[in-house]
Amino acid sequence: MTTARPTALIADDEPLLRSSLTRMLAEAWPELEIVAQARNGREAVEQTQALQPTVCFLDVHMPGLSGVEAARQIGRAAHVVFVTAYSEYAVEAFAQGALDYLVKPVDPARLADTVARVRERLVAAQPAPDIDVLLDKLEARLQKKAAPEPLRWIKALVGQALRMIPVEEIDYLRSDEKYTLIAWRGDDGKAAEALIRTSLKDLLDQLDGAHFIQVHRSVVVNINMVSHVTRGENETATIHMKGRSEKLPVSRSYLHHFKQM
Amino acid sequence: MKFTWPTWWITIWARLFLIGFLQLTAFGLLERWPRRLPRWVARWVLQVAAVAIVVPFAAALAYSLTTLGDPSPWYQSKEKLAGCGSMIGAGLLFSPWIAMSALYRHISGQAQRQALSFELERSEFARDALDSRLRLLQAQVEPHFLFNTLANVRELVDAGSAQASQVLNSLIAYLRAAVPSLNDTSSTLGQELDLVRAYLEIMHMRMPDRLQFKIQVEDAALRIKCPPMTLLTLVENAVRHGIDPSEVGGQIDVSVRLQQGRCLALVSDTGVGLGQDHQGKQASQGLGTGLANLRERLQLIFAGDAQLSLTALSPHGFSAELNFPAEAS
Repeated sequence: MTTARPTALIADDEPLLRSSLTRMLAEAWPELEIVAQARNGREAVEQTQALQPTVCFLDVHMPGLSGVEAARQIGRAAHVVFVTAYSEYAVEAFAQGALDYLVKPVDPARLADTVARVRERLVAAQPAPDIDVLLDKLEARLQKKAAPEPLRWIKALVGQALRMIPVEEIDYLRSDEKYTLIAWRGDDGKAAEALIRTSLKDLLDQLDGAHFIQVHRSVVVNINMVSHVTRGENETATIHMKGRSEKLPVSRSYLHHFKQM
Repeated sequence: MKFTWPTWWITIWARLFLIGFLQLTAFGLLERWPRRLPRWVARWVLQVAAVAIVVPFAAALAYSLTTLGDPSPWYQSKEKLAGCGSMIGAGLLFSPWIAMSALYRHISGQAQRQALSFELERSEFARDALDSRLRLLQAQVEPHFLFNTLANVRELVDAGSAQASQVLNSLIAYLRAAVPSLNDTSSTLGQELDLVRAYLEIMHMRMPDRLQFKIQVEDAALRIKCPPMTLLTLVENAVRHGIDPSEVGGQIDVSVRLQQGRCLALVSDTGVGLGQDHQGKQASQGLGTGLANLRERLQLIFAGDAQLSLTALSPHGFSAELNFPAEAS
């Protein structure tokens, strides 16, 4: 590393927070020169490549490319310090890793500590640490908190409009060759239908199994909307829906759902 | 004494009435007394037994009283003795059953009263549960939002900006409404729109280059009742899933109008919208938890008389329309 004057980039989508960090750094690290301010991850990466700052202060939560994704692309070109607003999972994830991070609103004492650590590395002329492995861990932690929830809305074309249909208003789903037909209750409670491209099999994995059960190779039904079931011949049955005239088939392999009903 | 039919009937009825009355007295007495019974004695058994035991004494007393004027005592006349015997027999045969059925009626009446009071208690519990459920469903203040906003306010203060106190006022207004209070009464659309404006002003201060907004509302709609945090949830959703993920940001339009006794509130944004359908990937992560909670709240409050429809806008963006009964406060 050069012994020239250290330079820095500050990336945050909120302008006031960029100027706040600029102001605080002026006190904590007077000789540091802020050479770039970025509004999102993409700009941060572009300006780092163009201006080669010594240190990058990256807000974690930015539109488009997040701070973590930007850090991955910056790699070892600069020392990275993450800035994150308080949120338990993010702070917890950072505390686990050996990454430098600040919590918003930035505390002057914490900033002084971080500055001292980065300066030590510069004085020892250490290259920026390889943070790839750390970033992997961090992303794994950040993703873990986003455990998959059952689907609550389904995007579907209704007429010309792309609508969000609440899953609890769906009566049944029926797959055609390329599409899945969604039969639901429209705004006025009347029966309505919509087509989506997602396959029934993919949908079934995301739907709440407590309400949606498969009754046929190509039919999944909302059990709350079933009016009654009649037995057919040869181990089959027919489902009658509340407020709908069409009947749905139950094939032999799914009949066990309706035993003892 | 000359024997005639009418007097004979009267005498019979008088005797029967007296016996019945004494039985009833015994029955009623044992219902209240003794106050405490040993555990192995059932009160109803005592009552039925007493009703039976009283019969011979009551019959004897009835005959004594109804033959007061007679020259010889009644138990020396064969006829009267036989009559008394048959009265005792009939009394022993029928009265315990009558007493039992009376007891049964009484007990089932008690059970009904108990069931009613349980029902009342249950419905009170259910209402309490509903209230707390409603409170839980109200949007909570996100720490992320709060600390980010405070960081902005601190910078305004440090920079000596005149904007600082204005933004603080917005934050106070937002927190006052968003911190769940124990007495969340129904607010009016006017109050709800003040809250929405406070929130949007805060967000505009935080992202002046990425968020513009416009609020249009008919004056008549301001006094309409509106469940707290409904419009705010839609607006927060538009910021979080439309504007915030977008590098260029966009505009949020809030409009409220009245139409045929209904209130139509529309929140639309020109943000990233629903995005591309990935294969098998439906709604983006987290999108809709707030909206799904809102739908559940509307269901609890309006019982199906409110609709929330969500539509994608082209080229990109999202619109949420809320339609609920307009009721003046």
